This record gives sequence, structure tokens and C-alpha cells, in this order.
Amino acid sequence: MTVTTTAAAGAGRAAARPGGTLRITGCGVLSAAGQGLDALAEALHGARAPVGEPTADPPADFPPAPLRPVTPLDIREFLGRRGTRKLDRFSSLGLAASRLALGGPPPEGEDRSTTGVVLATSTGSLRSLAAVARDTLVQELPYLVDPSMFPNTVMNSCAGQIAIWNGLRGLNATVATGQTSSLAALRHARTALARGRADRLLVGGVEELTPAVAWGRHRAGGLEPDTPLGEGAALFVVEPAGGEPAGGEAADRTRGTSRDARPETGAETGAGAVSAEVLAVEIGYAGGPAGRPGGLALGLADCLSRALARAGVEAGEVDVVATGADRHLALAGAEERALRRVLPRAADVRRLSVAEVLGDCYSASGALQLAALLADWRASDSAERIGLVTSVGGDGNVACAVVCAPGAR
Amino acid sequence: MPPETRARAEGRRVVVTGIGVVSSVGIGVAAFTEAIRAGRTGTFPITSFPTEGFPVTMAGEVSDFDAADWLERLTAEEWGRSAQFAAVAARLAVRDAGIDPETLGTVAAGSVMGTTGGESTVLQELAEAAHAGGLKSLAPEVVWRLPASRIANAVNSELGLTGEAQTVPTACSASNFALGYAYDLVSGGEADLMLAGGADAVNRATHAGFFQLGALSPDVCRPFDAERAGILTAEGGVVLLLEPLTAALARGARIYAELLGYGANCDARHMVNPDAGSIAECIRLAQADAGVGPEEIDYICAHGTGTPTNDATEIAAARMVFGDRLPPISSIKSAIGHTMGAASGLGAVICCMALRDGFLPPTAHLRAVDPKLGPGVDPVPGTARPARPRVAQNHGFAFGGNNAITLFGRYEADRSSKVNEASEASEANRANGAHGRVAAGAASGGEGT
Repeated sequence: MTVTTTAAAGAGRAAARPGGTLRITGCGVLSAAGQGLDALAEALHGARAPVGEPTADPPADFPPAPLRPVTPLDIREFLGRRGTRKLDRFSSLGLAASRLALGGPPPEGEDRSTTGVVLATSTGSLRSLAAVARDTLVQELPYLVDPSMFPNTVMNSCAGQIAIWNGLRGLNATVATGQTSSLAALRHARTALARGRADRLLVGGVEELTPAVAWGRHRAGGLEPDTPLGEGAALFVVEPAGGEPAGGEAADRTRGTSRDARPETGAETGAGAVSAEVLAVEIGYAGGPAGRPGGLALGLADCLSRALARAGVEAGEVDVVATGADRHLALAGAEERALRRVLPRAADVRRLSVAEVLGDCYSASGALQLAALLADWRASDSAERIGLVTSVGGDGNVACAVVCAPGAR
Repeated sequence: MPPETRARAEGRRVVVTGIGVVSSVGIGVAAFTEAIRAGRTGTFPITSFPTEGFPVTMAGEVSDFDAADWLERLTAEEWGRSAQFAAVAARLAVRDAGIDPETLGTVAAGSVMGTTGGESTVLQELAEAAHAGGLKSLAPEVVWRLPASRIANAVNSELGLTGEAQTVPTACSASNFALGYAYDLVSGGEADLMLAGGADAVNRATHAGFFQLGALSPDVCRPFDAERAGILTAEGGVVLLLEPLTAALARGARIYAELLGYGANCDARHMVNPDAGSIAECIRLAQADAGVGPEEIDYICAHGTGTPTNDATEIAAARMVFGDRLPPISSIKSAIGHTMGAASGLGAVICCMALRDGFLPPTAHLRAVDPKLGPGVDPVPGTARPARPRVAQNHGFAFGGNNAITLFGRYEADRSSKVNEASEASEANRANGAHGRVAAGAASGGEGT
């Protein structure tokens, strides 16, 4: 019986723990730029401006704002024809990203009992939620909602579907912190891996652009005029750095194969294999009814300082920042002030703006910022070593991650 | 390999020192506990939305709730109903813990809040507005209230917390996910103190959805009963304040119970049908993490929704771990209905109270235990039973196959003076016994279900 005899180590102010670095071994990304990191890099470098019309809804249903939808997505290309009929588009985006990240369907016999999912969302599938809520108003009887649609309305539906289709039986969490959700999911994953809750996690974010979402964000305000509204999914395969590869021999073979198959130039789209490390992820809250003036900037600056310290990185070593707030009226200033407060030559540090290219993707933004950083590094054969991903929400959430380029440690 | 070889996550002991409850049977932990012990029901005809045309009209609503009566900082009207439940429960938990609220913003403290529907009543309001006036008529101030993240944000805002505010929308096991993640933050030294729990609001869409799945009971919720007919949708908010044992002792806090550990996994088979083997595996994960064996579990607070499938699957899963020596297993959903994202948090509360005050929580409304559940099922029918449980196991399962189980242990205050000695000895044991993360994964991976 151990109830009253187990260990108590330390008290008071939380002590930093060593470790906690995440190794990224795979990435699946879908955005207005197309599928995969190379398409994203191409778009970032201006080779192709991804301006498309929505295909899942009549364009006339959207507000008068520029849109950056994901190009037509046929989930059957990823999952086959069977069992896909009742999947909503939100889950389909996540499922497609999961298959890209994991390099294909689960290999026969591979044990994935300690591989899990940590998925960021703002509100889950608002398309499904809105449809069910509307049905209670317009159907002949108020309960005549589509029972096969109802399970899609729970916000963990996409994470559950990703588990089902990929055989991922480990920890399966869904995380919502608004604009910063994807970085919160990374933080959740880091904690879970550091505590041995899983050996490998698929972590990232999904955001779907529907007429209701677009109108909601349009009406809510906060974005610069003519800021494109975007959507997308970015998922990363992460493991604790320094640990043995998870998933047994089959997983090693799979990953080995996909790595080997990737040309050095990374020319093909859909290649899931990447390598980089997330050295630290810190998140905080600077909201509240009596939020301090400049509170968001100070809150993010605290996060940045903490994250750099925990990463063992000097502020002067930061080469690039994938910013998150650049098209938000009030938030861009807060993000910039935080960077100037913490980075000694902030003005000289390169900025990478994914929202400029993909539109603002709300809860998926942080994951797409990270994907953009990886895509950019991979495509440009960069000498950069350390990148930051920053995110600020008007609701008070602040977050940042410190990322280390492949082979830079 | 046997599950006990899986290493526990190392770290500080974590205790529950404050509880806040907003429920259909009372606000505050004392009122809630008294009602549950008495088997009092909180499910009545629905008043929060028009039920005309609904064949089933019962739910567990928090009636006459005015958040402004309880909140100190937030302006209630600026927040949705779920966020209000969360903020009030958090405020109550801090008052209950006897912590100076002014200090909360100066330490590494945050909140993790589970939910199923998020701000579901706000969504309904927006759906009605869109139906009436089109999407372009949506009011900005209502849209701002919609994101699920507002639930944990409300807790941080009300209390002035500067640490992470994570809402964890893992549906009907969400509070246990929240408690587990908060436990890891406190135990692992990432946070000094965390508030964790969940919140959800009764709403038309959820009620309609469960009805269409054939899962709603027409009158009351009767878990484990031969004539059980399903769930009743319900609402509430719950927050548990978690801090390291040493910090609690240093400030002379009242300790409700120790959070011994948790387990979480995913069925990865079906969105809505539970899987006994996977649940059994989750029980094993939780027990291994807590460092206790099946024979040490004195009570199970069941997920116990009252649907024929859930209860049969849950008992079958328990048998896989406990054999035919099942601990008493009861469901408080019998009294308060299914509070969704708050459900396993309210289960955690009643586990803490059972351990501290010495009773087994009852299954209300039970007439005859379903013989098809097999022999030896003791759902503690009617009212609470005096007992001295030492370890309680709290179940939470969800759509999406998201299982999470928390384990709580009685904290014995009379032995607290020996805690330092004991922890040193145990620290040494644990160092010898720890196999590290990789070995842990291998052990778990070999078990199968």
C-alpha cells in the first residue's frame, strides 16, 4: 500500500526539469498551398500565390473577405473507399494530415498502443455543430437531427477518427486555447511524453473554413481589413529526443523507408519525414477583466524568456521568428513588443509570416507556423539554427516554442 | 509483461485541497456531497429551452443559477453558461482551499478544464440568430463567447492566474483528462498549483442528439438496473485544486485526498461504442501509474451512464482486471444525470469525499441489479453506505474512444508527521524500481487487451 508513503520531491516554486525536448520525425500539412512541406515552401517563397475558391460550399455564402481554402480534398485518396461516407470535412482534413505525417496506412501488425494524439481545435467541427443546432430549429420535430452526424459534433471527434484510422491506442487528447491552441497542444504533448504517458504522439491543429466560421470571424473583427481567412491542418509526429524510436521494429522500418525514399532535396510533395527539435514550449495567460495595459506583450515576453531559458538558448542565437499575429490589428503590436523586449537585435531577426500566404488559420495557426518554419528550412538549405514560433490571442492566451533546425545541435 | 512492471511517472505527491461544485443538487462541495449521499435526485423537467415536440423532457439542470452571486472579478454576462459554471466552481474551490486569492497570480498556477459541448448554449443562440437573420446578423459579442477555450480562460480570469489555461474538450471523460494533465504539471514540477475540472451546459442540440441515438431515459437514470433505459443530459461545473503535498502541509491545508495517478488511452475502434478490452487496459494503466494493485481498490466511481451498453461494457471491463471480486461500483449519474465534460470531475469529488468522510456513494433509483451483469455487482443501491475506503478509482469514457481513469487515495493526517521519512524511503524504492520511459512503454506495449 503506497498511499501515504510515496515520494514527495521538493516544494514551493516549480523547478525546471531537464529534458522535455521533442524530436519531430514526421509532418503532414494541408493548406491553401496544397499538400506537404514542399508545396508550402513554394508558396512561402512566392513561387505560387494560393488563391482558390471554396469548393465545399457555395462561394456566395461567404463574407466579403479574401479566402484561402484548402484545394479540393478527396479523403478516399488517403483512406480508400470504405467507411468514409460519414466523415465530416473537419475530420477529413485531420485524417489526411495524419496519413501524410505517418507516411501512409498503419503497417500490418505494428503495435501502436503507446502512440497517441494531441489535437488542437477552437470549437471542433463547427459545420457539424451548426448543422445539428440548425436541425433542432428547422426540422418538423426538434429532435430530428441526423444521428449519424451527432458524434461528429463532439470536439474530440477528429482525434478519435485519427486514432481509429491509424490504430493509435495511446493517450488521445484534444486541446483548445483559441488562437494559441496548436502551441498549447505541443506543450500538452511535451508534458505527456516527459511523464511517460506515451512514447510517440501525433500533435498539431486543424481548422476548417465554413460559411459560419468565416462569418463568425468576420463579424468578430480584430483582423486587418482584407486579411485572408484560411484553413488547414498540420500534424507532427513527435517523440522524446534522446529516447529510442517508438513503435517497435515495424515502426523503425516504416520510418526508415519513408526517410530513405525522400530525396535530399525533398522535392516530392507528401513526404512526411522531417527532422527538427522543439526545445521548449511555454504558454501563459495575460487576459482577465482588468488585464494590465500591455499585458499581452509582457505575458508573451515572459513566455519567451522562460522558453529560451529552458531550451538553453541565448536570446541572441535566435535566427528567425515565425510570427502568428501579423495580420491582427491589436495583437501584432503586442507580439512585436514582446520580441523587442526579449531579443537583443529583434529588428534584424528574420520574420516568417505564414498568415500572409495561407490566411489566418486561427487554432491551426501555430501548427502551420511550425510547418512553415520546417518547410522553409528544408527548401532553402538554410544555415539558420534556432527559430521561434509565437502566438497571441485576443482572449489573453500567449504561447511560444523554440525550434532547432535539423542537425543544428 | 505484467502491468505492474510499468514504471510510475516520477515526481511530487499531489493532493486535493480545495473543491468547488456547481450542480443540480447543490452549489458547493458540502451541499453536493450531502445530496449524493442521500440519493437525492437533481433531474427534473427541462426549463432552459422549449421542449415542445420532444418526447423526453427530463434533464439535470442547475436551476436558479446566477453566476454574479459568486463571481468576484468576472462580469457574468460577458461569458457563456459553461464558462460561468467553471469560473464559479473555481472561485468556490479557492475559497474552500483557504488560499489567499491574491497570491494565486504570483505563482506558477493555471487551469485545465474539460468539456463536451463547450459553450453549447452560445452556439444555440448563434444558430437561432443565423436562422432568423442570416449569418451576417451574428452579434460580435456573442461570437466572442463561443470558443471552447473560454472555459479555462474564465477560470484564469476570475482568479488572476497567469499560467496556462487549457480547455480539454475530450467529451465525456474530459474532466479526468484535465485532472491527469494538471496532475502531471504539478507532480512534474511544471506548476505550483493547478485548478482542474470541467463544465458543460444543458442544451437543445445535445438533448436531441442523444435522443436520436436512443440513449435518453424517459424518467430517471438507473445505472446497473435491469430496466435501465439510458442517460439524462445534465449540466454543471467542477474544479479541484491540486497542489504538492509538501506545499499543502507547509500551509496547514485541509487535505481531501491524494491524487495517486491516472491512465488514459483510446479504443481506436469505434466512435460511440465502448470497448471492454480497451477500458480494462486503461484501468491497468491507471493502477500501475498510481502504484496500486486491483486488490487495493475499495470503490469504483463508475462512468455508469445508465445505457444498457455502457454499464454492461464497464462491468465486463472491470471483470477483466478484478476477476469476480469486483469492488463496490456505483454511479452518481443516477442522481444528477450525465453532466458530460463535468462528469468525471464530479466523480472525482465524490471519491475524495468518500475517502475523507468514510462512505460509499450510492446509485440512486436502483430497483433490481441487472442479472445479465453477472454475479457480485454491488452498486450501493439507494443511499450512501458507511465504509472506510482507502483507494477509489474514478472512471471516465467518451465518444471517440477516449478513456481516462483517475485514482485517489485517502490521506491519513495522523501520519503526516512521518511524511518526510516516508518520502525518503519511498524515493529510494522508486529510484530502484523505476525502469524509465522506454522500458515502461515496452511493458505496456506487450500487454495487449
